Amino acid sequence: MKTKSVIAAGAVLALAVAGCGSSGGGGGGEGAGQTISFLTHWGPDQVKALKAAAAAFEKSNPGISVDIRAVPFGNLLSTLRTQGASPNGPTIASVYDLWLPELVKDGLAAPAPADVAKELSGNWPANLVEGVTKQGAPRGYPNEVDLYALNYNKKLFAEAGVAEPPKTWDELVATAAKLTKRDGGKVTQQGFGVITSWPAGVVHPWLSLVNSNGGALLDGGTPKLDDPKVKAATDLYARLVKEGSTQPPMSNANANTTGPYLDNFVNGKTGMIIMANWWQSSLKDAMGDRYQDVAVAPIPTGPGGTGPASVSYSWLTVVNGKAAPARQEAAWKFLTYLNGSTSGKNGSSAMGDILTSMGILPSRTGDLKAHEAQLSDPFLAAYVKELANAKPFPAVLGGEAMSQAVQKHLENVVFGKETPEQAMSAAQQEVADILTKASK
Amino acid sequence: MTAGTTTLAARPQAGRLGSGRGRAALAFLSPAMLVIGLFTAVPIALTFWISLHEWSMYTPLGDMEWRGLGNYSDLLKNQDFFQALGNTAIYVALVLVVTVPLSLALGMLLYFPRVAGKGVARAVLFSTYVVPTVAIAIVWGALYAPDYGPFAQVFAALGLPDPTWLSAPDTALVSLVIFHLWQMIGYYTILVIAGLTQIPGDLYEAARIDGAGFWRQTWNVTLPLLRRTTTFIALVAVINAIQVFDPVYILTQGGPAESTSVLSFAIQRAAFQHGLAGQASAMAFSLLVILLALGGLFLAAMRRRS
Repeated sequence: MKTKSVIAAGAVLALAVAGCGSSGGGGGGEGAGQTISFLTHWGPDQVKALKAAAAAFEKSNPGISVDIRAVPFGNLLSTLRTQGASPNGPTIASVYDLWLPELVKDGLAAPAPADVAKELSGNWPANLVEGVTKQGAPRGYPNEVDLYALNYNKKLFAEAGVAEPPKTWDELVATAAKLTKRDGGKVTQQGFGVITSWPAGVVHPWLSLVNSNGGALLDGGTPKLDDPKVKAATDLYARLVKEGSTQPPMSNANANTTGPYLDNFVNGKTGMIIMANWWQSSLKDAMGDRYQDVAVAPIPTGPGGTGPASVSYSWLTVVNGKAAPARQEAAWKFLTYLNGSTSGKNGSSAMGDILTSMGILPSRTGDLKAHEAQLSDPFLAAYVKELANAKPFPAVLGGEAMSQAVQKHLENVVFGKETPEQAMSAAQQEVADILTKASK
Repeated sequence: MTAGTTTLAARPQAGRLGSGRGRAALAFLSPAMLVIGLFTAVPIALTFWISLHEWSMYTPLGDMEWRGLGNYSDLLKNQDFFQALGNTAIYVALVLVVTVPLSLALGMLLYFPRVAGKGVARAVLFSTYVVPTVAIAIVWGALYAPDYGPFAQVFAALGLPDPTWLSAPDTALVSLVIFHLWQMIGYYTILVIAGLTQIPGDLYEAARIDGAGFWRQTWNVTLPLLRRTTTFIALVAVINAIQVFDPVYILTQGGPAESTSVLSFAIQRAAFQHGLAGQASAMAFSLLVILLALGGLFLAAMRRRS
């Protein structure tokens, strides 16, 4: 019954897109009232705050109405792919910076007007504006910034007699061994946790170790997976698994980016793990009073590195280049309000207020100042401190496929299906092929 | 004789579209054909058309870039595709090997014995098929949780080592098969029971008079007369197993280490995550061809046997 629809998955979507009509134009003529839609992956509380901001905007802009559409994170990209090209698709979308090159290539991320570009250059850090600038123009407002750091359980450290978090890879290995507990032949507490079955969860923490060893994933458009400094991080994973300090069966993530890897840290079964700042709210919710046991430290530095160098990535809000010009204009107007100092509290933008409510670092300079007190929370403060040393994850065409290829080979190492040499050599070849094909 | 010949000769005339019966047949068939054409034939044709192009899905169909058979030749060099094909084959084989005998056994257990509560047992067994897969998959994710999950607790209480379930490449696919069997076996069992109701009771009576016991009756009466039902169950089980997607997407995302990456998931990932709708469509169309070939071979084999 559903055979053909599954088999023809791509076609059904194609049909939906085709059925929505041709590209461009549509919806609301010039001068008429405009309805713009905002696609986001945020949770109910944040959507409520966004709706409140939209209502305030509509009050002072009677001709424009804003419709907020929320989908789960896992469905955000597929929603964009199926609805983005339609004139009735989302006018504004919250997107991961890795998706931006493809959105720009296909005309879905409109260039910002001159007044928005000017505002961006005056109120956002230059490196973030540069990150959202493609083909000579900024493509949206940079919003949240995420980066990785070593999270550890102070209680488990105290039980193991470890006073300080590891600063180097050698210390990481030694500390992980001390934190690992065994009951007979079974490991009941792992020293260092890794994540599997989730591309960013696998690749970003590993790449943070690579960066902290002086390596890099790409040099321009060329993969560097066969570089000894990159392979050394994979060797480190293999060593931790071999010594039993990392337990692969405790690493699984599910489609909601939760699952055993999170549960094991929350339940005090994992001593250390490299994770991003956004999971603070998950830890607070799941741990309750035990959240006070969580502490954050910089990424341990490898023998080839000069200091911690985390991986960072960002989210931005873009305006659909396929929408009618009047609708695009209304969308930029709303984004300017949402990211401006008058929409939030105490000089913050409404966007800044929403992001900090989730434990996420805002990127607008005024928002960082307005939320100084919240950002001085020890958990977030440790991340803020590392922001200057973080290296953005390379946002290139084919980036998602590249991440998945690296993820596959890293998991093969973690589960003992490939040696680090085999994994990095195969990943180097696959990533080179993916990038070559994507850039055609 | 003459009248009979005239009637036979007239029949083809009655079927022609121009005739009254032909027009009536066309009128009655049109709605169904329209639905089939629109929702089956057109998407399949469109899938094939897309598979000949490069397309990110962000642009209108008219802007696709022509690739000819390039996506198909790329598939032949794609290790991930063959891994997904291999995983799908293992998944289908495991489902098939367990589903047919288990559904037959359960069907006979719930049909022949004259005991109270058979109806309730059937309803309970069938209920797993009715609940949405997404909801059950989330529950099974918690059941399969290593160390702290209910299954792990039961194994620990029995003094047995806790299987790694979804958390290791060696056990993840089998764990998904167990979930699939739990969800679908009630449906197949009901089909078996429906098949059993079609076997005349006097055949069993005759067999008993001839001295046949339970096993002889099962082997010589029940199973031969359930052949059509069994064939149907096997075919549907294969098709359902090939289509498995929801639990993979929700619970494992194809991992760990690609061990649960089945074709439907690989198609979804290529299309929606990687923006390679042409390649995904080539995979989907290849899957259709494989399905048709398997179905044809299966039915031909069954026809030859009967």
